[in-house]
Amino acid sequence: MKKLTLLTLVFGLVGLVPLAHADRLADIKKAGVLRVAAFDANPPFGFVDAKSKKIVGLDVDYADALAKKLGVKLEIVPTNPANRIPLLSAGKVDLVFANFTITEERAKVVNFSIPYFASGTQFIAKKGTLTSPEQLSGLRIGVDKGTTNEIQLREQFPKATLVAYDDTPFAFTALRNGNVQAISQDGPKLIGLLANVPDRDKYEIPPFAISQDYIGVGAPKGETALTELVNTTLRELEADGRAQKIYDAWFGPTTKTPLKRIFKIGDKT
Amino acid sequence: MDSSLISTFLADGFLAPKYLGWLLDGWLMTLWASLLVVLASTLLGMAFAAARESGRAPLAHAAGVYVALFRNTPLLVQLFFWYFGVPALLPEGVLAWLNGTHALAVGSTELLRWPSFEFLSAIVGLVAYSTAYVGEDIRSGLRGVPASQRIAATALGFTPLQALRYVVLPQALRIAMPPLLGQYMNILKNTSLGMAIGLMELSYRARQAEAETWKTFQVYGVATLLYIVAIAALEVLAHGLQRRNARRSR
Repeated sequence: MKKLTLLTLVFGLVGLVPLAHADRLADIKKAGVLRVAAFDANPPFGFVDAKSKKIVGLDVDYADALAKKLGVKLEIVPTNPANRIPLLSAGKVDLVFANFTITEERAKVVNFSIPYFASGTQFIAKKGTLTSPEQLSGLRIGVDKGTTNEIQLREQFPKATLVAYDDTPFAFTALRNGNVQAISQDGPKLIGLLANVPDRDKYEIPPFAISQDYIGVGAPKGETALTELVNTTLRELEADGRAQKIYDAWFGPTTKTPLKRIFKIGDKT
Repeated sequence: MDSSLISTFLADGFLAPKYLGWLLDGWLMTLWASLLVVLASTLLGMAFAAARESGRAPLAHAAGVYVALFRNTPLLVQLFFWYFGVPALLPEGVLAWLNGTHALAVGSTELLRWPSFEFLSAIVGLVAYSTAYVGEDIRSGLRGVPASQRIAATALGFTPLQALRYVVLPQALRIAMPPLLGQYMNILKNTSLGMAIGLMELSYRARQAEAETWKTFQVYGVATLLYIVAIAALEVLAHGLQRRNARRSR
């Protein structure tokens, strides 16, 4: 009889351990704190604000909205790209909001929410010269050597002439000189580049992308309840217009980096 | 290479024909560009050497300044200048024309096509740079011909130009041949810097193939072999010429 009780106890404990870990959501509510990993040097997604010395950005705004929904305090843990998965697996953070591109490889070790941002292969061209992807076939296009942008363009538009440069500023100089008619990179990178160009009024980023990388929230593997809550919250934010507001705060027409929003939450699940 | 390296090499698979084709295309571009630069810089180099040895101060000075300018700055910077800098000075219409496609065609078959601006600026940059070196090698050859040769030619009634063309230059080129061939090898290797301004030569193509296949070892292995083959061909040529020279001077 005694043996049996012990056995039940052992089995009970074994059963309990994964159960206790599998509900991070309950833990967060109990602790009253949501710990989120965010970038501290990747504007405008996550970076240290020069005035307040706090980490701010688009990712942080989304994390903040989620903490409000849960009714808990938000604690930001600074991270770099390489630390995102280790922080999650080691249980140091509950979620990752750090321009986290959804890939099959990563999905094996973390849970991803539905995407809340997409960064795609886009273009800079002189104003009014490029309006649709079909035009690309007849153009000379500057790309960065070895990027996925170059490979995508070659595969999708074999008739376009590609000239590969060592980095984006070189490609942009070639565009200015007229050696190429468009240059290609990820949208957010292009807008960051354009922000620092003195004659930026002459150029534009046409509102289309030829491919998309989807950015999602990372949660610990197997935390279904937490992932579901993130998904519901993201959909709510889109439905009540708060997602658009967050976007406009960082990429809206009045910001230094105006980029037309071509992806909305729920466009891809 | 030990056996484990060989087995990973084979397990990884070799490059697909498509990528080998890219590398071959790049190699042909390297050879074509090298040939043009060698020919142009040799012709210009002769004129340059003649200017330096002309004994006319302004001409010799100008040539001296040229050497200082082109030998004392890195080739990469010069290529950036020709490709990114010069267009800022050209009128917009000229540049648009240079960048456009102009082809000479009979019916639907294209005979000649105006080269890309990347190609033009790479060739111009390499020729300008190489002329400074090739010209100095030719000049050292000129100086290696004893002055008595020229004087004797003049005594025989040759004009100074004739003396240069028929007496001095043939001997000077023979003396200059070994360093010149070394210079031509440099030119061939220097074309690889053209990749920085979009010249689709071997190194550019290798980088492209590497980015798509991730087969770094295979890609650069093949590229290295292709460079070696080209340089070896030049070396064989050099040996042949030297043997011929040795026979002649006996």
